[in-house]
Amino acid sequence: MRHLVLTICFLGQVLAIQAQEKPQDSIPTIIMEALDEVVLTATRTERQLSSLPLPVQIIKNETIRSTNALRLSEVLNEQTGLITIPDFGGVEGIQMQGLDSQYTLILVNGVPLIGRSAGTLDLNRIALGNVKQIEIVKGASSSLYGSDALGGVINIITESPREGIQGSITHRSSTFDIHDTNFLIDYKKKRFGMSLFVDRYENGGYDLTGENGLNSLDPYSNVTINPTITYEFGENTKLNITGRIFSQKQDLSIFENQGEANITDWNSHLRLTQVLNSKWEGLLEGYISRYKADEFLETTNGDPVGASDFDQLLARPELRLIYKGVEKWTWINGIGMNHEKLERSDFSETPIFNSPYVYSQLDGYLGQKLNVIFGARFDAHNSYRSQFSPKLALRYDINQTYAIKGSVGYGFKAPDFRQLYFNFSNSSVGYTVLGFNAAADELEELSDQGQIANIVVQPDVFDDDLSPENSLGINLGMSFTPSREISAKLNLFHNTIEDLIDTRVIANKTNGQNVFSYFNVDEVITQGLEVESRWQVSESIQVSGGYQLLVAKDQQALDAFKKGEVFARETPTSSAFQLEEQDYFGLYNRSRHMANFKLFYKNTAWKANANIRGTFRSKFGLIDTNGNNYLDRFDTFIGGYSIWDIAINKSIAKNFEFGLGVDNLLDFTDPQNISAIPGRIIYGKINLKI
Amino acid sequence: MKIENFFLAVLSILVFTACDSDNDGPVLDEVASDTVANLFAPQSGGQDQGPISGEFTKFDFATGLETTSATDWDIAFRGTAIIINGGASLGTIDEPERTGNGAAYIATGTFVSVTEADDSLFVQDSGSGYAIPVGSGNGWYTYEFMTNTIEPIPGRVLVIRTRDNRYAKIEILSYYKDAPEQITPEIAADDLRYYTFNYAYQPNEGVAQF
Repeated sequence: MRHLVLTICFLGQVLAIQAQEKPQDSIPTIIMEALDEVVLTATRTERQLSSLPLPVQIIKNETIRSTNALRLSEVLNEQTGLITIPDFGGVEGIQMQGLDSQYTLILVNGVPLIGRSAGTLDLNRIALGNVKQIEIVKGASSSLYGSDALGGVINIITESPREGIQGSITHRSSTFDIHDTNFLIDYKKKRFGMSLFVDRYENGGYDLTGENGLNSLDPYSNVTINPTITYEFGENTKLNITGRIFSQKQDLSIFENQGEANITDWNSHLRLTQVLNSKWEGLLEGYISRYKADEFLETTNGDPVGASDFDQLLARPELRLIYKGVEKWTWINGIGMNHEKLERSDFSETPIFNSPYVYSQLDGYLGQKLNVIFGARFDAHNSYRSQFSPKLALRYDINQTYAIKGSVGYGFKAPDFRQLYFNFSNSSVGYTVLGFNAAADELEELSDQGQIANIVVQPDVFDDDLSPENSLGINLGMSFTPSREISAKLNLFHNTIEDLIDTRVIANKTNGQNVFSYFNVDEVITQGLEVESRWQVSESIQVSGGYQLLVAKDQQALDAFKKGEVFARETPTSSAFQLEEQDYFGLYNRSRHMANFKLFYKNTAWKANANIRGTFRSKFGLIDTNGNNYLDRFDTFIGGYSIWDIAINKSIAKNFEFGLGVDNLLDFTDPQNISAIPGRIIYGKINLKI
Repeated sequence: MKIENFFLAVLSILVFTACDSDNDGPVLDEVASDTVANLFAPQSGGQDQGPISGEFTKFDFATGLETTSATDWDIAFRGTAIIINGGASLGTIDEPERTGNGAAYIATGTFVSVTEADDSLFVQDSGSGYAIPVGSGNGWYTYEFMTNTIEPIPGRVLVIRTRDNRYAKIEILSYYKDAPEQITPEIAADDLRYYTFNYAYQPNEGVAQF
């Protein structure tokens, strides 16, 4: 009975907003349905998933557990329209709505993970053992989150301490020497709660080609430690402190050279919530994160071949005020500041970014059926142009079955430190890359040293500021929910990304090579549609499927094709011929079609569950193979492929569960082109509850 | 019946036009068109092995052959660099002296569509750079660092003024031995610097069409 009361109190808090909208007598059933479908990320307040005007996906703990996924990349890959793509360093990042991984913001409990040394945030850094749910908001969202939220936002919400004391130990071992052991304990009594999550992951690496002296993946291991403390000072005041320490070590082996790559990622996050009165609520948040990565390579004799280091710091205080004085409306206001610092090899200086920001958002109903969200944010900055990011989203519930929704938002990505302060000369080939803010001075220095033959751009172009890459994202959707068992969603998206930063030659060197710097040059358009559907066939069987159509094109490329400036050759010895506009395929590493299918089966009597999941992507091009610098129909493509996974889990006795499964059942590999897919992985898992 | 008539008509027009030009114009030498395969243009140094050096491989359009002559050459190759017998040396090691009046520019189009040399566009080699610029994407090729390959940019035609004021055009097809379909990592590492190219040479002085 005491438990029940406490639970209801807790639910009451969580669902305060929903509760206001619903008649009193229907609360219990709505709570049961809504509880597992509450989303934080879309509006920065709890909102029921099914009522949102934005395209949002949610991955629940239950799904993660039944698929036995270990790292974030594994689960994201199975979501409609999402795919993980390895960058040059082998780091896996997410592609969302056709946008590269540096244009999607990755948050843990609402605060960003840092450490994008080459633009990509490694999704394998994130362990899933204590994840409550993963929320994916698609479409430009800088109106709430500032920089990086062009394609969307992925927010990983970890478990908070539950009443009582419980713990679990899970171990999974598989082929390719992948071993993961994690331990989660949480405790809550009255006002005090705490939890501790520890995960150790080890990956033996693999080599698909076996001949070129390079591993496809060098072996590595990492440890994640994630403690949380919660304390309620009273009805109205709550404190939440979370820490996260991540440490990874990788053994490098490149030809005969050996080395090591080390990553340490450390952050602490404090959140104090205070209900001020019946209308106002305040929230104070402090976040500090540090990411250190260093690597070296040496010959067998111990002579250094190369070394690099990267040390980034982010500190962010933020104050939020939420007003709920008008029925059905929430007004959220935030003010904060990002302080960033980076020390890195090949940099002209140690840059410090200070970027204060304010944002405000109204979310409410006009009448019974029209939900309106309108918000905007202003980010000031000391090193590039300040940004104003508005967003408008609407949802209209036609009836119980149909709803239409649409949103328009602005997104931006601040130029990264590299694009501003890089000062790098390649010792073997002899070219030089200079950051925009460093270019003028460094060019003068190179010129004084007699290394410059010819300056291509006027140095005064560097007097101006580099613009952040920015996008306008439009999403138009419809949802169809004929019954509790069946639902389908359709979403059309269109993103125009402008001022994309790319390198351009600024001078020719006397050694015949070039000096490059970064400029706002490109414009890219990504558009397409997504369909998602779900069918609860019976109590025990659920089937779901998703599809994304994507067209992603570079505007300059399109113009070049239109003007007839692009040519191709059918064979190396035949003369070139002119290409037409329709011969342009689009951006690299984008598949026109992606699809997924999932079947989940649950047998309560047997205390067992099983699932089969498949993903498909159609052909894509990784590089230009015919010398014209564009991906066209006559290039060599990488064929489409599908990956199927199965998993079976069964509980024995009360506290013991074991699982078996195969990832990549059909053993798909493409050693030449896709180094991130090792082949068939067979695993076993045991879970013990304490 | 009708078809035969049609063909007869076409044939007679062709014959008449051909006769016309034969009768009216001066007697001209024919434009020479050919494909040169595996012209080897080695270099020493470069890519961390010290400064680039080595003899350029010279080519003479009048004979359509490789040459070692100090004066009777039009263009010359060393690695990805192509120089012209006209202008001044950039000053790299082993660069030959320019003795002629050669010049060049890069036209965009198919080999067939570039039918005339435009005198206003010609550039000579100089102390600040070659008429045909070096570097990926700047001149005749792109370098793909992921596969370590040099690909001739399709649709780039090098238009050349020879040492003695004749005109020629070149379409480079391959940088690898025997112009292979697939450039494997082995080919990329071992069989490079073998030029295969189409060319057309207008031997008549003062005629810019080819």
